[in-house]
Amino acid sequence: MVNESRRKFLKLTALIGASITGLSPRKLKAAPKNILDKNRMGVLVDTTACIGCRKCEWACKVAHNLPTLPLESYDDRSVFRNMRRPDDKALTVVNEYPAKRQEEFPINVKIQCMHCDHPACVSACIVGAFSKEEIGAVVWDTKKCIGCRYCMVACPFQIPAFEFNKAIQPEIRKCDFCFQRTKEGKLPACVEICPMEALTYGKREELVKIAHEKIKLYPERYINHVYGEYEVGGTSWMYLANRDFVELQFPKLGKNPAPGVTEAIQHGIFAYFVPPVALYALLGVVMWINKNRKKTVEAE
Amino acid sequence: MKSKILLLLIVIHFVINAQTKISKSHSYQQLNCSTCHSCQIPTKENPCLRACPRESMIRIDQKPEEGPRILTINKIKETDIYEPVIFSHLAHAEMAEISGGCRTCHHYNPPGNVIACSECHGLQRKREDVSKPDLKGAFHRQCMNCHRAWSGNTDCLVCHQLKGKGKLVSQNKELIVKRIHPEIKAPNKITYTTNATAGKQVTFYHNEHVNLFNYECGDCHKNDNCVKCHSKINTVSTSKKSTKELHNKCSNCHDTNSKVNCSFCHSEKEKGPFNHLVRTGFDITKFHSKLSCSRCHTTKNKFSGLSNECSFCHGKWSWDNFNHKITGFILDETHGELECNSCHKEPTYSKLDCSDCHEDKSYPKDKPGRLIKRL
Ligand code: SF4
Ligand code: SF4
Ligand code: SF4
Repeated sequence: MVNESRRKFLKLTALIGASITGLSPRKLKAAPKNILDKNRMGVLVDTTACIGCRKCEWACKVAHNLPTLPLESYDDRSVFRNMRRPDDKALTVVNEYPAKRQEEFPINVKIQCMHCDHPACVSACIVGAFSKEEIGAVVWDTKKCIGCRYCMVACPFQIPAFEFNKAIQPEIRKCDFCFQRTKEGKLPACVEICPMEALTYGKREELVKIAHEKIKLYPERYINHVYGEYEVGGTSWMYLANRDFVELQFPKLGKNPAPGVTEAIQHGIFAYFVPPVALYALLGVVMWINKNRKKTVEAE
Repeated sequence: MKSKILLLLIVIHFVINAQTKISKSHSYQQLNCSTCHSCQIPTKENPCLRACPRESMIRIDQKPEEGPRILTINKIKETDIYEPVIFSHLAHAEMAEISGGCRTCHHYNPPGNVIACSECHGLQRKREDVSKPDLKGAFHRQCMNCHRAWSGNTDCLVCHQLKGKGKLVSQNKELIVKRIHPEIKAPNKITYTTNATAGKQVTFYHNEHVNLFNYECGDCHKNDNCVKCHSKINTVSTSKKSTKELHNKCSNCHDTNSKVNCSFCHSEKEKGPFNHLVRTGFDITKFHSKLSCSRCHTTKNKFSGLSNECSFCHGKWSWDNFNHKITGFILDETHGELECNSCHKEPTYSKLDCSDCHEDKSYPKDKPGRLIKRL
């Protein structure tokens, strides 16, 4: 319930935001950035190889200067009793799904941003704070973000997290495919540390081929489905598994890119033909409230 | 001109090949180059190796002692976190002997010596060809498969030692050098009480399967791992097994599908050990006891279709190719010149008939020579 009302709130905020920027002369997105590069990178996650050691969680935190417990503490498997989601304090988490038969191992699934090829977060973001980079990463720009949290609603994987606990300059946080590290020629931190190389980093094109080869070579090990190959128009992170992805709580998604909610709402505006003046008035009110809030925060 | 270039290339190919660490002579082996290489002339720089054809494994059989005793795994430079791992190759090879032997880990090997993992799995995680795991991934995939099943967890510190955090017992070199897997004592006989309606008892003579029928451990235990004997979690699988699963181990050799065969293994009481005479009507204790089954039963797992007539295996006997002495009976001069079938009327040579020449004589009361101790 709480969630739903939050969603409603977010949608409303977004509606306002959308209408405002819809009228502003500023260019929405830096277009060339969001063109898909043929050689964009990706990661193939082999859930049949992952052992749930959670070293990736640790490495991700270290790479992003997030507070973390010592490495040894990640051997503790009791965290798997609960299903976890990535949030502002952990950009990636590993969950566990029990084995179907006693002689099999449980299945561990690492979750993070999928780095969609047609990211809903990018098209939802009204100020163009999100962009799909040439290398494949979908990144977020703190300078542009206005905190509307539109991306959170739009993302079909519910990835972007908001630092609700931070009063000053809360940020949207999500896996950035280690944009900084890869720029320096390094591997994403999680890929680098994974002992099993359950995370294979390579050209997305190449990975798709490898994934299908693996399925062909080991039909007993994998189901014939590369999750992310086509889902929401394709994602940079893709998965292999030995059982239906629905059982591993992957959302069942079609081949079409998830619509940025913006478009839907903009259509809505068009349909109801809200007079611009009203929107300006609304904008004024919002700005005024925000200004006041800022003042109080500063006073504190 | 063309042929000269080709010759040159071939020479270069051999020179380069001689430099690679993969057993130098591997290119001279009885093997089609294209099993491993996808191009005509592989070079060290571009060996154009095919993806490991794991299905068409090339068999390697080395005794555990022939491999290295311990290995210090320090190639993977993750030195900022862990110390190098000291690995008892010997103990692990001994453990593997019961299941698949070297192949348990060395899942693909060109002909020749067993090669190190690093020959195929490179050190670089960031690389062009990501179709097979890098060395770190390859190691862990092998280790964790058993270790996880064995201990039920994935603790890194079982093998790894954090930098600068004192010595782990498991990483004490002196201890590891001495580490061996104790000899596995196989039982002679195992009796199973099954749920079968008729023939509840199955008596399995392990010693016979090993010593008499010459099965190798891996023939039956190839899918067993450490957990079979050591389990820190559950010793016996409590999940109910289907009849097919229960029969799996035996059905490689025994036809467990046909109902007619049930009594071959199942009975109401414990069964006695294998007896060739009882089972087949052919006594092998006298002359054939030292032979391995495969000397006569030449097709693996096929034991029917042999005749008990001597000539079936031995061909036709005459004085040129048969020394009667080896039967433990030396014929006297008169009898030593007769045709075999003058006395042995049956093709099994088991009985003796004197009636062709002698009306009043019979064996064994009267002997056409003298008995000696059989050779
Ligand atoms: S580091 Fe690799 S094996 Fe470990 S939990 Fe992460 S993805 Fe799985
Ligand atoms: S998974 Fe969500 S946050 Fe990540 S790129 Fe896709 S839409 Fe954006
Ligand atoms: S790619 Fe980087 S940011 Fe994303 S989960 Fe891996 S370590 Fe974290």
